[in-house]
Amino acid sequence: MISIDRRLVREIDWVLLGLVLLQSLIGVFFIYSSSRFLAGDFYVRQLVWIGISLAVLVFVVAVDYKFFVSLAPYFYVLIAAVLAATLFFARIVAGTRSWITLGLMRLQPSELAKIVMILVFARLFAEYKSPMLTLPRTLWALAIAGLPMLLIVLQPDLGTAMTFAAVVGGAFLLAGLKRKTIALFVVVGLLGGVGVWNLALKDYQKRRITTLVNPQGDPRGSGYQVIQSRIAIGSGGFSGTGFMKGTQSQLRFLPARHTDFIFSVIGEEAGFLGVFAVAALYLALLARMFLSVAAARDRAGVYIVFMASLLIAFQFLVNIMMVVGLFPVVGITLPFLSYGGSSLLASFAACGLVLNVKMRRFANV
Amino acid sequence: MPGERIYEDLTLVRRRARAAFWTVAALIVLVLAYYWKVQVFDNAKFARMAEANRTRIRTLAAPRGLVLDRNREILADNRASFKVSLVREHVGDMDAMFASVSRLLGLDEATLRERVELHKDLPLFEPIVVADGLDADAVAPIESRRLEHPELVVESEPQRHYPKGRRAAHVLGYLQERTAEELRAGGAKRMRAGEMVGRAGVERQYDDILRGQDGSVVEVVDSLGRVQYEQAHEFPAQGAEVVLTLDDRLQELAEAALEGREGVVVALAPDSGEVLALASSPTFDPNRFITRFTPAEWRDLINDPLSPLENRAIRGLYAPGSIFKLVMSLGGLAEGSITPATTVYCSGATRIYGALRHCWFEPGHGAMDLSDAIKNSCNIYFYKLGQSMDIDTIAGAARRLGLGRATGIDLAGEKDGLVPDRAWKKAALGEPWFPGETISVAIGQGQLQVTPVQVAALTAAIARRGRPGPAPHLFRSSPKVDAPTGPEAPDGPAAAAAAEPLLPASAFESVIAGMWRSANDGGTGQGARVEGFDVCGKTGSTQVMSRESAAKLAQSGREVKTHSWFSGFAPRERPRLVVTVLVEYGGGGGATAAPVAGRIFARFRELEPR
Repeated sequence: MISIDRRLVREIDWVLLGLVLLQSLIGVFFIYSSSRFLAGDFYVRQLVWIGISLAVLVFVVAVDYKFFVSLAPYFYVLIAAVLAATLFFARIVAGTRSWITLGLMRLQPSELAKIVMILVFARLFAEYKSPMLTLPRTLWALAIAGLPMLLIVLQPDLGTAMTFAAVVGGAFLLAGLKRKTIALFVVVGLLGGVGVWNLALKDYQKRRITTLVNPQGDPRGSGYQVIQSRIAIGSGGFSGTGFMKGTQSQLRFLPARHTDFIFSVIGEEAGFLGVFAVAALYLALLARMFLSVAAARDRAGVYIVFMASLLIAFQFLVNIMMVVGLFPVVGITLPFLSYGGSSLLASFAACGLVLNVKMRRFANV
Repeated sequence: MPGERIYEDLTLVRRRARAAFWTVAALIVLVLAYYWKVQVFDNAKFARMAEANRTRIRTLAAPRGLVLDRNREILADNRASFKVSLVREHVGDMDAMFASVSRLLGLDEATLRERVELHKDLPLFEPIVVADGLDADAVAPIESRRLEHPELVVESEPQRHYPKGRRAAHVLGYLQERTAEELRAGGAKRMRAGEMVGRAGVERQYDDILRGQDGSVVEVVDSLGRVQYEQAHEFPAQGAEVVLTLDDRLQELAEAALEGREGVVVALAPDSGEVLALASSPTFDPNRFITRFTPAEWRDLINDPLSPLENRAIRGLYAPGSIFKLVMSLGGLAEGSITPATTVYCSGATRIYGALRHCWFEPGHGAMDLSDAIKNSCNIYFYKLGQSMDIDTIAGAARRLGLGRATGIDLAGEKDGLVPDRAWKKAALGEPWFPGETISVAIGQGQLQVTPVQVAALTAAIARRGRPGPAPHLFRSSPKVDAPTGPEAPDGPAAAAAAEPLLPASAFESVIAGMWRSANDGGTGQGARVEGFDVCGKTGSTQVMSRESAAKLAQSGREVKTHSWFSGFAPRERPRLVVTVLVEYGGGGGATAAPVAGRIFARFRELEPR
């Protein structure tokens, strides 16, 4: 089953892999800049995680994606169980029960759940060959997506739940939705939104959303992060304040500098040029990923490529909007650049799946 | 073409996937455009905000200038101390903060709340001083808990110190913290929250000279407010010193003489107007003001029935009593109602306008000329003189001698006193003047009101034989002021009044002769006599109640006390010192006030034998 023959290795998209590693290394530099004065050598840990993630990527690439897809139901049951267990056994970190400890490593099962959902939906939708989804199938798919999502919302991890919803929603769009179904979704979504706002959202989450409209309304509270982040980005100017010279990050005004707000550090220290460079690299990477759909040999492959690409694209977009104040602060990391093992692992695995699909376009079924 | 190998129709999903990518790409471009706006267009604004974020300007308080006496004895200096301020901006839970900070500072919580409440109108980022006058040991526990209390700022600050405690407190005045209203009103004057400014006395009068130029330091701080390094340093410049005319040795004696009583001693040089001693009792310790009072402490002080904060020398209004007989004599001589030789017979009582009026000496003084009358302070003589003079003439003489109007001494809050006349009574009471009232005024009673410093200025004018002279003043010199005297000193209203001599010097001589005899020839002022110093003076005892109720009190065996005055100068020729003493409820002027003045004259002679 694990067979890497030379023909396949030749088919690996080295450019895509190179872009992923390049982004990761840029991330390491800015993690160093923004956390070197903290105990814990975060940049070294990030390098270790890049190594681990690369190993996982190699594993993901080595196994034919068809095999993963065939195992999707088992993965699904497993990850649902782990998510449920997380709710009961996880330590509370930053107010959420998102982390489980496996020996030396702390993992966020919700990150892995995204990858599992890519496989589950690839399997689910690969069988529907009609241009549009029917309502019963839609509801069935929703139920399947709904369970892990609910478990993630309960943690509560709004950011991951949103990413989850975006990726699943993307799969639905790709599968094709009837107008009526879309209309139904919109109505249910609006009603659900109002219901969630009134019943389910915690105060701090509501504040994050109102802060988006008026960050100065609560400058010491939830608005603080956005204000400081905007100051960091804005003060970077065109060419930046210089590596390790940004006062917002070096003097710790910027919150979550090496994790969710790493892009603000880039904006401050490397200026618009840095922002543009990272965005350009991202655009190249996303183009490479999305347009790989052309190379998928079957419907499952298309879904895998599309959902994996969407996963990276959505997190990237939301993160760069969030740090500049165009989106509420929801705790979504910048794939490849933010510090954090689980996020890195999930992003590498997603790319691994894309590489997997792409390199096996000529493979016999 | 790879498409040829595909056995499923994937065209539709591929097209949708591509559409999704282009949507994402378009969004990225839009977001990048927004980054361009934030980073390039709004760069200046955000750069400024980043700068404001990381820098904090801390004021370095300038030490105030020294205040010295005429012999450069230090009356006010500064000493190093620490103060603790609270920045409400950095407080999360106010109640929790009050509890923990009051424990840390060893204050009770109510006091702390009161201090913060007092400044609640200040912007949140302005530090509120909650404790000061602390030494290094007292601030050590606060410094060590800096991380738990980001809202507390410990700064060292030069603190005003009065090394002699209560000495000359009314002259020096005191400092108080700037009020929120003043800060809000702002204006061109340099001011900052927590700054101490002169509120009374010399500290207030010469605040501009004494106040230094504050320095500043730009500190670069991290998000927790911890100072990383300092960027620019502008050192504070101490205020200029002010040398006063006071002689601390006389001041010390004057205050000791008043210890335990309420009263005033003013000593001044008649030719220069320089005040050598100015004591008002009871007094206060200006050092107490430096550590910021709570409103309750302040209330207690201003509600003290003996009003220790009041400078009685310039603000105490008293009837001049027999001291006014000097004004009557000079006015009478000027107008021609009497000559030095005019003689009146005192039998101890006389009937004037149908009322029986008594002399203070019941057996009567017998036949007396002017100098006898002054020596013995005979009431009958001056009743008769009052009978022959018009109230407006008397008032005119009093005003020309400087009564009824502030002397212009360089202390804020001086009162004018009151010289009654027909126009005043009409305006104030709506009544005509009654001749009987003139009789009361003639012996310094009635509505007449003077301040002790006015009496001193009047005595100085007599000592100068009516020659114009400078108003009493405390300012001697300061390196910051070019003129040899103070900004307000030499051209006071009293000097202007004396510009025209009231009388030829000979008229003064006959009054002075009476004053000399009062002290040296068995008169009422003999308690002030100093061997070989030729003290000339006049006593006064003012009734603080009507004669009838005084008589009743005396009958019931209670002691009747009157305010006791003495004012005089020495020596008779080329006078060098004027001393005015007032002791509230001191009894007869000769018994209480004159000996106090005598001690001052004697001490002065010892210090400046010439």
